[in-house]
Amino acid sequence: MRLFSSTLLFPLVALARLVAAKSSSGDSVLVLLDPSLEKENFSIFFNGLEQRGYALTFRAPKDAEPAIAEYDVPSFSHVILFTPESKSYAQDVTPQSLVGLLSQNTNLLIAMSPKQTLLTSLAAEFSLILPPPGTPLISHHPARAEPPTVIPVAVPQSPLVRPGTPPVWFSGVPHALNTNPNLVPILRAPSESFAADSNDDSGASMLVDATEKGGEGLWAGSQMDLVTGFQTSHNTRVVFAGGVELFSDEFTKKELPNGKPSGNAQFARDVVNWVFQESLALRIDHTTHHRVNETVPGEFYTTNDQIVYTAHISAYNPRTSSWEPFSGLTDLQLEFTMLDPHVRIALPPVAGSPGIYEVQFRAPDRHGVFKFVVDWRRRGYTYLQSSTTVPVVPPRHNEYPRFLSAAWPYYAGAMSTSAGFILFAALWLAGDVKGERKVKKGTKTE
Amino acid sequence: MFVIFSWLLLAASVQAAKLTLQSPRFTISSSNATTLRTETFTTTQKPEPLTLSSSDTFKLTFQITEEGEGGKGVQPHQTFLRFYDGVSGEEGIQPIRVTPGGKAKFELNMARPPASIPPTTTDPLKVTLILGSFVHEPVKYELFDLYIPASQPPPQHADEVFFHTRPVIEHTFHPEQKLPPTMISAVFACLVLSPWVVLLGLWAKVSPSVPHLFSPSVVPFTTLLGAFELLLFWYWVELNLGQVLLYGSLLAVPTVFAGKQALAKTGEWRQGRS
Repeated sequence: MRLFSSTLLFPLVALARLVAAKSSSGDSVLVLLDPSLEKENFSIFFNGLEQRGYALTFRAPKDAEPAIAEYDVPSFSHVILFTPESKSYAQDVTPQSLVGLLSQNTNLLIAMSPKQTLLTSLAAEFSLILPPPGTPLISHHPARAEPPTVIPVAVPQSPLVRPGTPPVWFSGVPHALNTNPNLVPILRAPSESFAADSNDDSGASMLVDATEKGGEGLWAGSQMDLVTGFQTSHNTRVVFAGGVELFSDEFTKKELPNGKPSGNAQFARDVVNWVFQESLALRIDHTTHHRVNETVPGEFYTTNDQIVYTAHISAYNPRTSSWEPFSGLTDLQLEFTMLDPHVRIALPPVAGSPGIYEVQFRAPDRHGVFKFVVDWRRRGYTYLQSSTTVPVVPPRHNEYPRFLSAAWPYYAGAMSTSAGFILFAALWLAGDVKGERKVKKGTKTE
Repeated sequence: MFVIFSWLLLAASVQAAKLTLQSPRFTISSSNATTLRTETFTTTQKPEPLTLSSSDTFKLTFQITEEGEGGKGVQPHQTFLRFYDGVSGEEGIQPIRVTPGGKAKFELNMARPPASIPPTTTDPLKVTLILGSFVHEPVKYELFDLYIPASQPPPQHADEVFFHTRPVIEHTFHPEQKLPPTMISAVFACLVLSPWVVLLGLWAKVSPSVPHLFSPSVVPFTTLLGAFELLLFWYWVELNLGQVLLYGSLLAVPTVFAGKQALAKTGEWRQGRS
């Protein structure tokens, strides 16, 4: 029976794997598309999304329907803004409403352009520093037939993108990052590229003037980024791409200068996988704590107790669209905190039990209200945060060490007193009264 | 149609002249204008690594021309000097002003370094010259390695510590309470028990008579007293107050009767069985 069902299920499952690489937070996607952009020019990208199980709804920025949120409840799980040139939107799309979406479990993919729109001010809120308007990215290197604004960019190593992705074609605007660690650089600009609005060689002096003028200087070099992600503290993700042509059919089909096919399709798929919470999505299923020889969590602990803390962690597997136990975190740490961490130790995975991380430690000898805190943050991965409050009380009167060797004289004295009392009572009751009788007889004869 | 257009562009770029660097030369001079090192180098062979101290001035001059005999000077669109630290990944880009005749001059005063110098450590900076133009083929030259004094490290965001493994904290517990040596405790316990030795010794000498020790009216009472003492011992080892009061009250009832009986009997004996 099992063999029959597995032979029947296997091709179905294999087919399903190709189709249902779904997101962990929902499948409905709203795409705001500029009227100047044709949907057919992005057919490879959008068809790929639909094939993977997402339900796409298209809309122009100025349309009022469908709104991104109704009565403060988001209507879609993800929003794609391919509106690089739009200066005005319908009422429901404002920088505040987009940020509000991020606090309510909705992810965003935003494409920008050299024009200054509300997306420029939105990007600044996410610590991205854009060049002055009208200065797209230019690179004369490598020598190629395309204009200098269309640039092949090598894809750097990162947990987000598949290793070995070929260079991608890019056209758009770069941005500089500040030190915010929530930023996840995905595609860095080539070191020879810079942002400028010149069309011929006479613009050379303007470049030098821009640098010497001070202020932010010239946007140049590989410290700039072209596609950057941002993971918020609610674990929702935003990706700012410097240009929308990265996702277009034209760039996907274009060949690199060395004749090989470009990596745009694979790169776009990896970026969407990350933004829509398919890849690098983790969560803490639940945590438990108990004393060493017990299984039920204690209502309180005593100082110097041996406590065992366990965390169950899963990662989302987009192929099976399910959360599976994940034991791959090697640097998880547990803090036992009362205002400041009193104990911080590694929380290692348990060999043989997938997804379970356990550690045993001794409660500090200060009493008070403590918290078990797990706070694991790494670029690109979901932030794992958990906090469990537990009281730690001093020992009760009968929980101190007893039968100490220093007390032997006292034990001996107390036991002597008891023994002496019984002996006295027994001997007094048992005693002889011969002497008294003799005296009495003597007085009577008198 | 687009394919033909791109082929034409490619053909055009192939025809475009290449750029070359003529007579690149650097000078390092100290703060009192004495020349420490000056060299005219070539792009084919890197000179020895340069070292600048915090008060030196560095000057670089060269000319950009088209390749070939009698190539005229060119002002390309992009003449950038790239400082790159291979170990830390820090990079700085400095555009160089080029005259329309192709002559370029760059001056770096370490006393007031420009913002384009990246944060440095003791590792060298690789200096590359990047030339780009709309009408010429682009070219990059690796010029030399440069050692400059280490700078302050780049500023870090306050939250950056959370993104790395944090140091392990072990709580320092109070040291275990130290007990005095057991030998001393044993000696004093024996001291406490020494009066028993004296008592038993004197009794052996006196041999008091205890005829009624095992009399059936006295034995119940003495055994119940013994039971009370055993209850006290049990309380010391294990019991709680509630339990010991319960058992004690249970034991007290027969003890009262046994005691009354024993006292009555003793009274009779004292009166000579009257």
